[in-house]
Amino acid sequence: MQGIIKQVGSFFQHSLVSRVLQAVLVSFFLLTIVFFLLRLIPGDPAMVLLGENASMGQVEEYRKLLGLDRPPMEQYVDYMSNAFQGDLGVSILRRQSVVKIIASRLPVSLWLAGSTVAMVFVLALPLGLLAAVYHRTWFGYFFRVTTSIAISTPIYFTSLVILLLLAVKLDLVPIAGYDPEFPKNLRTLFAPALTNSILLAPVLARILQASVIDTMEEEFVEAAIVRGVKPLRFMWHYLLRPSLAPCIAALGYFAATVVSYGVLIEIIFNLPGVGMSLIEFVRAFDYTAVQGFVALTGLLVVATTLLADLLNAWLDPRANLK
Amino acid sequence: MSFAMSLKTLNREALVGILIIVLVILLGIIVPIASPNDASGFVADPLAPPSMSLPFGADHMGRDLFVRTFAAARLDIVLALLGASVPIVVGTFIGVLTGAAERKIAGALWDALINALTAFPEIVLVLAIITMLGGGWDGLLYAIWISRWAQYARLARAKTLKLHESEFVQAAKVLGYSRIRILAKHIMPNVYSEAIAYGLSDFVFIIVVIGGLSFLGMGVRPPTPEWGGMLAEGRIYLQTTPRLVLWPGAILSLTAIGVALFAQGLARHRKEAVR
Repeated sequence: MQGIIKQVGSFFQHSLVSRVLQAVLVSFFLLTIVFFLLRLIPGDPAMVLLGENASMGQVEEYRKLLGLDRPPMEQYVDYMSNAFQGDLGVSILRRQSVVKIIASRLPVSLWLAGSTVAMVFVLALPLGLLAAVYHRTWFGYFFRVTTSIAISTPIYFTSLVILLLLAVKLDLVPIAGYDPEFPKNLRTLFAPALTNSILLAPVLARILQASVIDTMEEEFVEAAIVRGVKPLRFMWHYLLRPSLAPCIAALGYFAATVVSYGVLIEIIFNLPGVGMSLIEFVRAFDYTAVQGFVALTGLLVVATTLLADLLNAWLDPRANLK
Repeated sequence: MSFAMSLKTLNREALVGILIIVLVILLGIIVPIASPNDASGFVADPLAPPSMSLPFGADHMGRDLFVRTFAAARLDIVLALLGASVPIVVGTFIGVLTGAAERKIAGALWDALINALTAFPEIVLVLAIITMLGGGWDGLLYAIWISRWAQYARLARAKTLKLHESEFVQAAKVLGYSRIRILAKHIMPNVYSEAIAYGLSDFVFIIVVIGGLSFLGMGVRPPTPEWGGMLAEGRIYLQTTPRLVLWPGAILSLTAIGVALFAQGLARHRKEAVR
């Protein structure tokens, strides 16, 4: 018995370690890809940035700022070692660390992400459960059709329709803008968070539905019904909790999607968050700032995926960490 | 004949999906040709209300919104087809090759590379590539190709690895067929049919990304009629003349929903056929 426990333990540890190493390797490739992103620029980035009328001295200065005056291998080693120390480069236009610029815009985006997550859970958990329990009735059909409509509608159209309904017709929320003070900001966050949830809650509800349907076929559920477990306890312990793993596994996808949608949402609702700063970088051809932004969001997704895997392994040791 | 047969056995979702797609494509072809108005011609007063000759009214510059909406349909669908087809073909091909080369360490490194490529939030990566390459419809297409192929390479690699262990491939190996023959005749067709099924739902995503990037002003440039660009232009008039946003947005959503329903119906159909 002792031997088995030891073996299982070492396997768990081994796969845990290997999973973390995997994430490090992925991050390494990710930063390499981001490094080469700058090489996509046709011609000389300094020339592109400064225009044709720039003097040689100015061009030289920009080449130095972008690090283009040194041999490529040296640039690469430098970039990687800086990145692993948390330095993702300097905005060429603002001469400020990219990480710092993003950090200063982070609170708005975090508020948006937080209210989105709260709304998604409130909508998706009951919807997914109901859709699983009644999946053979008209509700299952209705659920399938409405969720595919909600998921396929482009977010920039959904948000404009929401604005039209809530802000223009009903005058419930402001049409755009952000109030940074705490209780007041929820009013400005309601419409953007709702837009996000209309696209994300159906995804989560569908994953949950499929998973709960699988769980319902398990013998312990049947046994619980026969034993007459109380409804609430049955819902949580026998239906929801054993079905959560696929939802947690999708966390990385959700993180990526929230960032992607965030860019569009912040522009439409005029929220001065991280996504809006990306658009500012892009419009100004601030190559290094865009580069740093891409690296940061990519790493965020890798970290979330790793976290989700570890969480699932912790919740259910049978889960395969590979 | 087999196509007609399979149409008959298709479920309601897939049929509704096909109907919507065909309708939008037909209107996208017919309307710009049949209408006397040109998509970028100024034919009426700015924001003129809908009438017999202008079913959707005029936009903020006095152009025919009806013609523009369906001229955009043509452009967006063609762009999305181009955007989806190259990654399907190239990505799947690369995936099959990497799946067929049985090397452990190289395989693990390759997986890490693909995981890295697919980790980036899509809109962010496409925006970044466009920043570097330059915008416009061509830059947008390159960005979509660069960012999408890895999804298919991953899918194809996994499928190829699985097929290599299946009985019919093992049988072909025992029969002494060459590796190239096994790849071309036994593995590729299977992998490609799955890639196309996935590509159908990816098409929805790509058409949304094309519109989204143009909405942000980084894709197709005005005055070319494009759904996302039209939404961005019409957004300013949301309070007074919402139809500038509602018409192109509704047709764009309808197209995306049509393809999604078709993809979903087809997936269910395949699942039921296996059973």
